[in-house]
Amino acid sequence: MVTHYKCPNCGSDMAFDATSGKLSCPNCGRQDDIETFPEENIQQKFAPEEAKEYHCENCGAVLLTEAETTATHCSFCGAAVVLADRLTGDLAPAKVIPFTISKDEAVAAFRKWTKNGRLTPRGFMNGDRIKKMTGMYVPFWLYDINGKAEVAAIGTRMRTYQQGDTVVTETDFYDVYREIDLSYLKVPADASEKMDDELMDKLEPYDYSDLKDFRMPYLAGFLAEKYDFDEDALFSRVESKIVPYIDSYIGSTISGYSTVSYTNKQINANKHKVYYTLFPVWMVYYDFENKEHTFAMNGQTGKVVGKPPISGGKVAAWFTGIAVSTFAALKAISYLVGGVLW
Amino acid sequence: MRKPVLKASMLILLLTILMMLNCTAAFAQTDQHIYDQAGLLTDSEISDLEAYAAEKSREQGTEFLLLTTDSTSGMPIIDYMGDFYDDLADETGMENAVLLTIDIGGREYYLAGFGNARTRLDNERVEMVLDRITPYMAQGQYAGAFRETIETADRYMEYNPGVNPESIFLQTWFHAAVALLLAGGIVGTMLYNSGGRNTTTAATYIDRDHTRVTRDSDRFRNKTVTRRRIPKNNNSGGGFGGGGGMTGGGRSFSGGGRSF
Repeated sequence: MVTHYKCPNCGSDMAFDATSGKLSCPNCGRQDDIETFPEENIQQKFAPEEAKEYHCENCGAVLLTEAETTATHCSFCGAAVVLADRLTGDLAPAKVIPFTISKDEAVAAFRKWTKNGRLTPRGFMNGDRIKKMTGMYVPFWLYDINGKAEVAAIGTRMRTYQQGDTVVTETDFYDVYREIDLSYLKVPADASEKMDDELMDKLEPYDYSDLKDFRMPYLAGFLAEKYDFDEDALFSRVESKIVPYIDSYIGSTISGYSTVSYTNKQINANKHKVYYTLFPVWMVYYDFENKEHTFAMNGQTGKVVGKPPISGGKVAAWFTGIAVSTFAALKAISYLVGGVLW
Repeated sequence: MRKPVLKASMLILLLTILMMLNCTAAFAQTDQHIYDQAGLLTDSEISDLEAYAAEKSREQGTEFLLLTTDSTSGMPIIDYMGDFYDDLADETGMENAVLLTIDIGGREYYLAGFGNARTRLDNERVEMVLDRITPYMAQGQYAGAFRETIETADRYMEYNPGVNPESIFLQTWFHAAVALLLAGGIVGTMLYNSGGRNTTTAATYIDRDHTRVTRDSDRFRNKTVTRRRIPKNNNSGGGFGGGGGMTGGGRSFSGGGRSF
């Protein structure tokens, strides 16, 4: 099924505009709210069940997509199309965070980021070799997690004082017990195989106040993917993400001791609710010295992640600069205090 | 022809006398630094050490002196040393001196700082110098002990009064190590964070309304008490006379002594 959003004014293909948060027409500039967009202007056509082939409704060209793609552009006429049958039933996202950073803003934000790279080569810092910017909705599972933790530990309080020529150390031992109700809301894990997990984790956090109920028009004009891993497959990953959080919370409930050693720690975490959600990500493909570097930008907050090229000269310069100035400062202080330079 | 030759030889003679005068003026305070009454040093050691002591004394503006004796005639080594120094100072007019006295009869040695050396080589520094020469004394290397005294005292006296010259914070290797570690740490962190940082924390996804402690208890169990005696700082030879004092002639000094 191919879906076009036709402009009620001029009939052009409308696309989602990140700046205004509305569907906008590139031709006449008309903007429509997604909630109130007239039904009759949503043009849909079901492809035959057998042939997983999509045709652009504008020009009739065959849309070549990967199996995970749910939104793309027609490679012939450039019209924004959403592949609706890949977004229905089990595959229907529950929530979406729409893009708030437009392509121009993303380019500007990326350039600004390259300028801040203190260890990147000079040529990289111009930020003028962006090969391609792709706005992409990446599938995530958001987990509401309920759990219980039961912890037993031995805590000590130590007191040291001097009595004549004897140092006395008094150690009090305590049996510590805690039962804790745990609740974590909307912990994300990216469900796309293509996306690097570490990169996606670094893009967090997203601002959940912009989390909207999913509607297809948000995808118009962007690329979108459907999930590769289902909610059960990813739960272990989310679990490993929140266990350190739980540990630090448990630690915060046991205070006032010099040392704490756990004798028993049982954490039981269950998923309570799961939301299939699309998060906005700008993928930036950047050419530098015949190598392509891939960066990802949070399409909501503008945070950029990805390994930039590192200039050995700059690393050496920073290292020597800091080392030499620290050495000089220490020498100056010791000269002032001790009166001797060497 | 004879007259110019005579004039020239007269001039040379005059210059030589002037130079000798000049030299004696420079060394007027003490042309002798070693008073080896016990005969502990060989002649070559004495001439070596005399040259070294003279050089360092000139640099430091403080005379480095060595006194050795077979017997203090029943006097405590401090009084013996004080009387010797009073006589020497009255005679030569020197007021600044570092004096190492070795009593081979009583098997004691005493290091004192007079005049400006009283502050520049204060009691703490005297003890530190003594620590360093103790091994030489134990092995009977008296020349080495005096050389070490001059070398270390000369180094310590460069430092501002009251500062511990052996403090780790004044050591060059410590400065270099801190500088390298700091630079490595900062640049390492910059490298590590160049690809973007994880900014989510334990607080990001927590539901504060439903995360809470439902049961807790902290019950006292038992108590242990350990006692440790503070070890006394006992040097092998045992120290005495720390804190300096005053000579019979009214010259106060910093100092400290050891037995060996």
